[in-house]
Amino acid sequence: MRVRLIYSPDVVEKPILAEVISKTGLLINILEAKVDAQKGELVVSIPSSGKKLEEAIAMFRRAGVKVEEIKETLKIDREKCISCGACISPCPTQALQLDSDWTLKYDEEKCVACGTCVHACPFDAITLLEDAGKVEARSS
Amino acid sequence: MKKDECIRSVREINEKIKCGDAVVLTAEEMIRLAESSGVKAAAEEVDVVTTGTFGAMCSSGVFLNFGHSDPPIKMTECWLNDVPVYKGLAAVDGYLGAAALSETRGFEYGGGHVIEDLVSGKEIELRAESYGTDCYPRRHVETTITIEDLNQAILVNPRNCYQRYNAATNSSNRVLHTYMGTLLPNYGNVMFTGAGQLNPLCKDWNYETIGIGTRIFLGGGVGYVIGEGTQHDPQSGFGTLMIRGDLKRMNSRYLKGASFYKYGVTLYVGIGIPIPIINERVAKTATLRDDEITVEIRDYGVPSRPDRRPVVKRVTYADLRSGKVYINGRKIPSSSLSSYKMAKEISEVLKKWILEGLFLLTEPVESLPRKGSLKPLRVRRREPIVRDLMRREVITAKPNEGVEEAARKLIVKEIDHLPVTTEDGRLVGIVTSWDLARAIAERRQVLSEIMTRRVITAQEDETIDAVAWRMAQHNISGMPVVDEERKVVGIITTDDVSKRLVEGISRR
Repeated sequence: MRVRLIYSPDVVEKPILAEVISKTGLLINILEAKVDAQKGELVVSIPSSGKKLEEAIAMFRRAGVKVEEIKETLKIDREKCISCGACISPCPTQALQLDSDWTLKYDEEKCVACGTCVHACPFDAITLLEDAGKVEARSS
Repeated sequence: MKKDECIRSVREINEKIKCGDAVVLTAEEMIRLAESSGVKAAAEEVDVVTTGTFGAMCSSGVFLNFGHSDPPIKMTECWLNDVPVYKGLAAVDGYLGAAALSETRGFEYGGGHVIEDLVSGKEIELRAESYGTDCYPRRHVETTITIEDLNQAILVNPRNCYQRYNAATNSSNRVLHTYMGTLLPNYGNVMFTGAGQLNPLCKDWNYETIGIGTRIFLGGGVGYVIGEGTQHDPQSGFGTLMIRGDLKRMNSRYLKGASFYKYGVTLYVGIGIPIPIINERVAKTATLRDDEITVEIRDYGVPSRPDRRPVVKRVTYADLRSGKVYINGRKIPSSSLSSYKMAKEISEVLKKWILEGLFLLTEPVESLPRKGSLKPLRVRRREPIVRDLMRREVITAKPNEGVEEAARKLIVKEIDHLPVTTEDGRLVGIVTSWDLARAIAERRQVLSEIMTRRVITAQEDETIDAVAWRMAQHNISGMPVVDEERKVVGIITTDDVSKRLVEGISRR
């Protein structure tokens, strides 16, 4: 599952992610990171489900980090898309690729909702869903 | 058999098409056949190879005849959905260019979109103005039209179907929005365009079968090559075509308006050309693969004319299509602007048309030029350059200089920019009055702590136009002028540029 971790100024300097990784043993992967002295925002992929996932999310919350689940991020209008590829190489996480018959495919799991592809598309075929990443993760 | 000895004529091929006996392969199928049986056997067996391309072709447009209203108008200005139509023609003739921008919607909508909307049968707002004459008394007209209402809608594209196209990357430190799409900073990606092994002119590399009069698949309908395109550059292998076709018989699946963010609008055009395999040499080029067609990756981070953009690397279409290329040992993602999927579909549709006897081949009335190359535009009028406007007495500072001392320099000399240099004058940073104000507030001591190290610079021989654009892009008000060794030779500010502008205006 992909989640967005939002660090407030009070906790931004603490090694919370490292702590969660070492305690749960989960190989959490950072997909995107914006951190400065004021606040931090990470998009991470947690390779887990069920109880273990809930436990990890609860640990972040206890440490004062806001956790938002990223569900659907992009909508691709297949009527407009011609599978050119203009969105593919600008995508920072390789979430957009061509499949073996040259059709654009989209890997929801890899998308971090950055929106680069929206401007890159010459056919206005990609929309960033408004609530992308703003869905509060189910609390345990 | 000699390579240029005629295997079959176009007339013979057409007889076979009419009888349903012609052997027609798409370019992809021809490549596979040649790989398994060899070019010679493929040449003996195959009559026609079909090609396809579907990409942005800005030099496209449509001639329109609106018909006369009552009372009639000699339209001197005209808009379709607020996109200006060229009206330097007779009363109700106009030319709508694909790259024309809407006057109300900017980069979002333009000529390419109007063409697509016309083909889809949508209603279009027509508005026209005139000065009124005895024979054309009306001075204004506003109505809606569809493609059905027009007497003619003829697509005439001055330059389509580039044989190959150089790829693009970006060495600069900011995102560039170009006609080659989004180019990420620091060689973040590579964009390319072109159908490569499916491209019509690649498959007839020596222009032996494609020429004036060649019948083609154009935008889902039938069109014709009417000559070489503008910027046709055969000696470098960058041939182009000028084409025409009846827009009324086209299909919006193969003609699509497109917007490039912060660049402009264009039209994606679908073109397919049949290559009659008249001899072994044509067969050979018809089997060219992506890994045999090379292009250069050019650096769009350098804002000079296209042929002077530095070549970063030479690669093949196969490299580019693999999704990654290596630049300076780094793996860089690459992707296409044109659609290979649609190009392939076009080659398949054209094959079907020929097999069904709906499309016959043509012999060119005249060949395309095989000689000639591109010339740049010489700017003969002297344009102001940095050297003309820059100030040569530059006040500089050293990295270990104190913040307060530097601030005093700015006040005494009434300047806002302080380049920081080494002992031998090499630029290592810059501080502005704003940086110093903040440094004093934050009680910082030495310039090296606060200076900006990545300095945006100018060169003496650059035009003022180019440096003014750069200052605006980076939101800065001045730049040190440096030589090849990065030694500071002057400074230029927005004040210098605007003073020049004011002088220029008051002199008029």
